[in-house]
Amino acid sequence: MVTEAHAHAHDEHEDDGAVHVHIASTPFYIGIFLVLICLTVLTVKVSYYDFGAANIVIAMVIATTKAGLVAAFFMHLRHDKLFNTLSFLGALLFLGIFILLTYDDLSKRGRLDPAYGGRVNVQTGQAAPGGPPATSATYDALPEEAPATSGAPRPAQKRE
Amino acid sequence: MANVSDTAHAGHDDHAHAHPSFLQHHFDTPTQQFNASKLGMWVFIATEILMFGGLFCAYAIWRGLDPQVFDDAHHFLNKIMGATNTVVLLFSSLTAALAVRSAQVGKRNLTSFYLVVTLLCAAAFLVVKYFEYSHKFHLGLLPGHCFGHPGLSGAIENGREVGTCLRTTGTQTTSMPEWVKAVDEGGQTRVLPPRANMFFGLYFVMTGLHGLHVLVGMGILTWVLIKNVQGKFSKEYFTPIDIGALYWHLVDLVWIYLFPLLYLVGKPE
Repeated sequence: MVTEAHAHAHDEHEDDGAVHVHIASTPFYIGIFLVLICLTVLTVKVSYYDFGAANIVIAMVIATTKAGLVAAFFMHLRHDKLFNTLSFLGALLFLGIFILLTYDDLSKRGRLDPAYGGRVNVQTGQAAPGGPPATSATYDALPEEAPATSGAPRPAQKRE
Repeated sequence: MANVSDTAHAGHDDHAHAHPSFLQHHFDTPTQQFNASKLGMWVFIATEILMFGGLFCAYAIWRGLDPQVFDDAHHFLNKIMGATNTVVLLFSSLTAALAVRSAQVGKRNLTSFYLVVTLLCAAAFLVVKYFEYSHKFHLGLLPGHCFGHPGLSGAIENGREVGTCLRTTGTQTTSMPEWVKAVDEGGQTRVLPPRANMFFGLYFVMTGLHGLHVLVGMGILTWVLIKNVQGKFSKEYFTPIDIGALYWHLVDLVWIYLFPLLYLVGKPE
């Protein structure tokens, strides 16, 4: 590469090793900024209306549009190496995996059943790991320290 | 070191672009150096996203568990102040992008001007944040060992009534029902929802970490500004300005999500 560049040192169409980047015009950047401001006004305006469960969806769609504009143009990803974009999107992908797996763990983890003092799976009602079996023991029959060792406070002491 | 570099490239040192002063000896060309810097910065941005990601995950889980708390508690945040700060940050992102552009076309003084504007916007953001924080401190919304909901927590922790310590002035202790009330941003006296500390804990940690990034960003941009005034950068070498601006845009990116998640989502009245 270097040898090639030096062989054609004064040929502008060859790689002379100097940095050549896409330079957007000032009005273009200002245009992007104005779009971002419009989207900000929009997201504040719609927050005064109640769309129920769609509230957060609308807010996140607008936020992601804004973030996309900032990343693509202010951060030059549009005209940058594709690998930089992949690094960025890769982080977002793994963030998504992180949140989904945490949700999955939380929904499948046993909860302390106040009636039995054992850990049960909320969906199935079956005994869950991390505590005495829920189906064969009653709260009164359990040893005094059983709920404490299972990692959760007793319902009577539960602080909200 | 310079001698080693010269020797290593002695075969083609006749070329004017081969060894500019800004090109470090372990890079072949300025392009290679530039691309390596950019890739490094984007990998760093990825780690930053994952760091904030832990907080966004906590937000998602807690909000999923108890959406009502978020609905009720977010009325204590001022949408107008949040929106103002959003506009300030977006504008500072614009000026940061224009600073890079000016450097790309070799207008050094214009770059300095845009960097100064960016820094002023950053300071303005922190001033607005200061007013928001101090107002919430005044209302007692700061999470800590004193922060709880007396009505639900049993009110006694370590022999002390939870929640009363922040409200004790002189010899007067405001009664508990008064404590759980505060005037929200709509001017309405409102009972703090149980577990409101979940919301305000997230609010302070997320905006606090973001505020820390604003401070770090100001430091980076100040350093870039000084180097630019010293004439270290040119049309051929503007990498630090580009990288500094990327950091600043990241600060903007995070706020773009924090603003709606904390200030806007929730049922309007």
